Amino acid sequence: MDSNDDIEDVSLFDADDDVSRRSKKSKIRSCDCPVLHSRHPVASFFHLFFRVSAIVVYLLCELLTSSFIACMVTIILLLSCDFWAVKNVTGRLMVGLRWWNQVDDDGRSHWVFEARKVSAQGGKTSSEAESRIFWLGLITCPMIWVIFAFSALFSFKVKWLAVVVMGVVLQGANLYGYIRCKVGSRKNLTSMATSYLGKQFLRQTMATEDQAAS
Amino acid sequence: MRDLKAVGKKFVHVMYPKKSSALLRDWDLWGPLVLCVSLALMLQGGSADSKDDGGPQFAEVFVIIWFGAVVITLNSKLLGGTISFFQSLCVLGYCVMPLTVAMLVCRLVLLAGAGTVSFIIRLIVVGAMFGWSTLASTAFLADSQPPNRKALVVYPIFLFYFVISWMILTFTPQ
Repeated sequence: MDSNDDIEDVSLFDADDDVSRRSKKSKIRSCDCPVLHSRHPVASFFHLFFRVSAIVVYLLCELLTSSFIACMVTIILLLSCDFWAVKNVTGRLMVGLRWWNQVDDDGRSHWVFEARKVSAQGGKTSSEAESRIFWLGLITCPMIWVIFAFSALFSFKVKWLAVVVMGVVLQGANLYGYIRCKVGSRKNLTSMATSYLGKQFLRQTMATEDQAAS
Repeated sequence: MRDLKAVGKKFVHVMYPKKSSALLRDWDLWGPLVLCVSLALMLQGGSADSKDDGGPQFAEVFVIIWFGAVVITLNSKLLGGTISFFQSLCVLGYCVMPLTVAMLVCRLVLLAGAGTVSFIIRLIVVGAMFGWSTLASTAFLADSQPPNRKALVVYPIFLFYFVISWMILTFTPQ
């Protein structure tokens, strides 16, 4: 999918955060109500709407209509809309992450993952609910589609396998992309893991030393 | 909207295939998805042993198109092509458009009757569109290969569109 340079200027991972160029929707409000404050209710709604309705249609297709084709086309359309919405709109608005594929002039393609830097003025607390909704929807739905894949495989309902595989691939792609954005490059991931483990180890040794001393 | 305009521009490019890097640079798979779904919808209910809902045929067409495109892409990458995976899928998917138009024409012709004349008309239309598809995709894809490997890349593309054309030509409604 194309990058979104012409819609909103989200700052790069290493660049400075330019407050004056933020879009109207992410202005920092001065109220103190932290958790329930959602700044993009429409985005949150649509983030969950397409995913959940695709799952619901898949589960209820036998009851809703006797036509396999109508169900399949509906699920495919919902999955595509969900993929586009989550990749291009809700990730950017709700958690400030985005990812895309860029092709150089010589034909090589590489994937770019970006995360918006958070300013120190408390912008984060007012979108905690959104962040939770975002990650909840992003993580649980691919897992549900994987469960559907196994159930279709083992109950030999092979005609549904095409739809289910499509669901797994599309939603898994978004999940993978956003996890890469959140964690940063691979180097950061391993260094983060080692620093975390190092801190835990240090804490353990301090605790045992204190116990031995007292 | 920006994405819709990009998709429309690619459809126009397929109509007049000349080598342009703009088409290859910004790949997207929306066009192929729409074409695949519409082709599969038009092709269902056409074989002798179809059940009432024509279910497996829809999935069959879908899987043939996408799996075939993936295999061709892998083949061209293994032969040392410089094009990326999704760009190749994008081109192959968009070049299914002439065959979708042929399917539409075939369905209209079959409304009038299913005799020899209609078969000849359908054969000519499908053959022309098949040639157009193959030429359009070859124009985009063969350039990324070294010259002695071009035939090795064109042959699977030829087979792919041949299978789709065969499905369209042998379609007879119930």
